[in-house]
Amino acid sequence: MDKTRSTGNPAEAHVNERLSGYLDGELTQQNRQQVSLHLETCRLCAENLESLRELRGRMGQAGLGNTDKEVWREMMDDTTVRFTRGIGWILFLGGLLIIAGIGVFMFISSTSMGVGEKLLASAVYIGLGALFVSVLRQRLIERKTDRYKDVEI
Amino acid sequence: MKNTEMRQELIQLGGGAHALAIQILGNPDDAADAVHEAFAKVLARPAAYDVNKGAFKPWFLRVVRNQCVDLLRRRRTVESVNALVNPGKAPDQALEALQRDESLKRALSGMPAEQRQILVLRDYLDLSYAEIADVLSLAAGTVMSRLHRARLALRGVLERNDG
Repeated sequence: MDKTRSTGNPAEAHVNERLSGYLDGELTQQNRQQVSLHLETCRLCAENLESLRELRGRMGQAGLGNTDKEVWREMMDDTTVRFTRGIGWILFLGGLLIIAGIGVFMFISSTSMGVGEKLLASAVYIGLGALFVSVLRQRLIERKTDRYKDVEI
Repeated sequence: MKNTEMRQELIQLGGGAHALAIQILGNPDDAADAVHEAFAKVLARPAAYDVNKGAFKPWFLRVVRNQCVDLLRRRRTVESVNALVNPGKAPDQALEALQRDESLKRALSGMPAEQRQILVLRDYLDLSYAEIADVLSLAAGTVMSRLHRARLALRGVLERNDG
């Protein structure tokens, strides 16, 4: 049975609303005094307060999360590694793209090669690029849809 | 805040953040992923934390909570919360304490996520009402009544379960 509803007294129910605030030290001084006075005369509310205090203690001592700090330290290190690796990849790919852009520009604007030679060389590079993109795409799709990727052997 | 200080704070807050994430996501593994992602976010942009806008603890817990909500949105499915197992069981822990913990987790798992969160933020992580309002994006005046309802609900479930 819910102890807070056993009397049907609205005034008492109002105090009940503030029992948690009283327990947590979150009431104004005036409210705290009102609740204190009420608790002196109301056994039901005093019992309610004690049971809430016990509940709070039980919650506070419970092992609800992983409190092993070493786990979080390792995770943090892993996070740092991932972060620096990400920056490394961005710098590497960014630099590569700029160099490739300069190379393409020099290749197109070069006058030492004829149009036919340029087209031939372009076909080789574009072909290589298309093959690379195709293989990469397939690998990504496999990675996304492979149901057994998390199975450790 | 210096980077080394922030890292120390994060290590201290890991367990509590994990407990909060479990209440939102429903299982310890997903919760650990969410905390990991939150670490990555915070460490990538440490300047996002403004020391003038309040304590680090509620700020970081808000990041964790947002991360959990993002994960839920991405997955579009809410995992069953029946498997709230103790992720860090110590073999030498007293059996009675373990049973009490399990009973508490079972009781929490049957409650709405909003109530579980507010209980963990106050009674497990010891946040003030103002900080709870900040983390949960609630009006400050509603925290007390919601918390009280959550406590009564938890007590009711525990009384039923424990007989």
